[in-house]
Amino acid sequence: MARIELRKIRKQWGEVVAVEDLDLVIEDGEFVAILGPSGCGKSTTLFMLAGIYMPTAGELLFDGIPVNEVEAKDRNVGIVFQSYALYPHLDVRRNIMFPLKFKGVPKAEAARRAVEAARLVHVEELLDRMPSQLSGGQQQRVALARALVKEPQLLLLDEPLSNLDATLRLSMRTEIKRLQRHTGVTTVLVTHDQIEATTMADRIVCMRKGRIEQIGTPEDLYERPDSLFVASFIGAPPINLLPGEARDGRLAVGGTELELLGAAAGRVILGIRPEALRPGEGGLPATVLDVEPMGRETLFLLETPLGQLRALLSGATAPYGAGDRTAFTFDPEDSILFSESSERRLPDVHVRLPA
Amino acid sequence: MAAPATPAARDWEALARRARWRRTAGQSLLIAFLVAVSLPIILPYFWMFTISVSARTGGVESVVLWRASSVLVPAVVGFGILRIFTDDRRRLWAGAAAIAAAALLALLLLVGRDLHLQNYRFLWNPDIVEEIRGAATASIQFPSVWVAFRNSLALALTQTALVLFVSTLAGYYLSRFQFPGRGGFLQGLLVLHAFPAMTLIIPIFLLMYWSGLLDTLTGVVLVITTLELPFSIFIMKGFFDAVPWDIEMSAMTDGASRRQAFLRVVLPQVRVGMLAVGVFAFIKGWEEYVFVRTLLFDKQNWVMSLYIFWVSEDIMGVDYGIVAAVAVFYILPSFLLYIFCQKFLVQMSLGGIKG
Ligand SMILES: Nc1ncnc2c1ncn2[C@@H]1O[C@H](COP(=O)(O)OP(=O)(O)O)[C@@H](O)[C@H]1O
Ligand SMILES: [Mg+2]
Repeated sequence: MARIELRKIRKQWGEVVAVEDLDLVIEDGEFVAILGPSGCGKSTTLFMLAGIYMPTAGELLFDGIPVNEVEAKDRNVGIVFQSYALYPHLDVRRNIMFPLKFKGVPKAEAARRAVEAARLVHVEELLDRMPSQLSGGQQQRVALARALVKEPQLLLLDEPLSNLDATLRLSMRTEIKRLQRHTGVTTVLVTHDQIEATTMADRIVCMRKGRIEQIGTPEDLYERPDSLFVASFIGAPPINLLPGEARDGRLAVGGTELELLGAAAGRVILGIRPEALRPGEGGLPATVLDVEPMGRETLFLLETPLGQLRALLSGATAPYGAGDRTAFTFDPEDSILFSESSERRLPDVHVRLPA
Repeated sequence: MAAPATPAARDWEALARRARWRRTAGQSLLIAFLVAVSLPIILPYFWMFTISVSARTGGVESVVLWRASSVLVPAVVGFGILRIFTDDRRRLWAGAAAIAAAALLALLLLVGRDLHLQNYRFLWNPDIVEEIRGAATASIQFPSVWVAFRNSLALALTQTALVLFVSTLAGYYLSRFQFPGRGGFLQGLLVLHAFPAMTLIIPIFLLMYWSGLLDTLTGVVLVITTLELPFSIFIMKGFFDAVPWDIEMSAMTDGASRRQAFLRVVLPQVRVGMLAVGVFAFIKGWEEYVFVRTLLFDKQNWVMSLYIFWVSEDIMGVDYGIVAAVAVFYILPSFLLYIFCQKFLVQMSLGGIKG
């Protein structure tokens, strides 16, 4: 197990800067998710941790020791690739035993540990199959076993669930979390799926265009997003964003005005999560445009004086139908304001519906 | 809805019958076509074989050919018909065995008396030409066929080993590493392959003469290897391109050095490519005529193609049987090689590493 530290890590290929000035500390035994859209440098970061890529600049430390120059084969890092990268010419048993071959583990012990690792991920009955005879989920488990068998000091997962179907994804999410708790290995998960990140990780590193946008717990990112980007990336259905103008303690949005709590001026963007909206007397007059049942919850598309809003209400049966007129309200603490120019959150600024 | 169901069902059956008939007709046509186009290719070889086992000094027995054909053609056609009308494996085998037995019996009765192995006496009697033409042959004392056979084998095998070794390493390097001039190199390979090697005969002759490699097998091996390499490298590069990076990176995080990753993980994925390149190189070396004719003089350096050339030169018109027997002996190794590797060579056209 190891405490990982990245100091001003940078990676570029010619003119292309994939990762820029990355500062990050991952505590021993922690489960961290790197979250961001495709092409933002997540895999590059992961490959630098694995030793597959060498950082162009900056310092990478494992337990306080610089490892920039240490080769991949000497880092004792387990990695599960997006494609699983099983060795096609070896059966499952030999695939799992492969890393032990280079550690001088005696054959008998290697075989025993392979079976143990296979049992951990429930593939012990597949040991004699070839990778081409496995389903995606089984291949994934084997890849996990192979990464874990060498008792790595760091486990890296590159979009491990993206090639699985929805049900399997759900069960593997739980499974990976269980394995991480069980082994206590420091783990970095890379994903573009915010649900994966929020459900699995202790902390989330949100990346955008090679830079860190925000680091925090899932609650931090959900309730106190530092930027417009994080706010719109986290949460499903996505947050409602409305442009407005703050002046003299009031916020003009759409065709109406809200009461401003806190100091703000100029063009801002108001964010309200669909879950924060609820029906309320004397609230915003709203016309229901569309109703989308989502199982235990129902999503409403509303036309309000602020603009179009999505509202998520619990309950499978919709209290309103399309065309109904009603009123919606929200708590001031649930409103988030961003500066339009910097796209940063304005801390401690909220809005309230006029009385 | 019950009433129209019956006529509809009858229609389905008619449609199915029509489809079945079409399939059968189509297959028969295809087989007939394939037989028709392969006849001109197969027939000369068959004739050669027939002559080699039936001709007696002084004449060619075309009667044997016609009799044998009159047995074999119906047998092959019968097997084709059997194939079309039987899907059952067991019955197919039984039918094939019956046809083969009948054909064998008929052959024995019709041509059995005419068959003999006298034409193959060159295998144990090196003075074959003197025996036939008297001592007056163009002052060429014939070497044993085994000398030529050994030379051919040495030439083909050395060349195969060299081509395999160089094209595998070069193909890997071209596939995986970026270096200045890589694009030009790849284009150069194609241009070299398209370049007619015959135009190089005089320069190569001079080159061999100056370097003292004229009239040595080493010289010929070097020349043929060089000419064979561009295409082989190109083929191998294609196979390496199809091997995903992931498994190589995975091997390196699993503790393998780059060389170990190459040997243990990448190389097994390109086995089919190496087999194909190896077989082609062997056949190329085995059948080579123009360069050995130009660069080798001493009869101790004769290879099979030179041997057969001089045999036919010296006794053509006197004894076709021996020429045909030498030809059969010459073809045998490439024929066997092809039979054994056919399965893998067909895979190559699919570019497949899925095995
Ligand atoms: N080997 C490479 N050479 C050049 N550019 C690369 C290479 N690998 C990645 N990049 C670039 O770096 C950026 C980040 O890529 P990556 O880390 O794979 O993103 P993702 O977050 O989707 O995993 C992309 O713009 C990509 O084009
Ligand atoms: Mg990626």
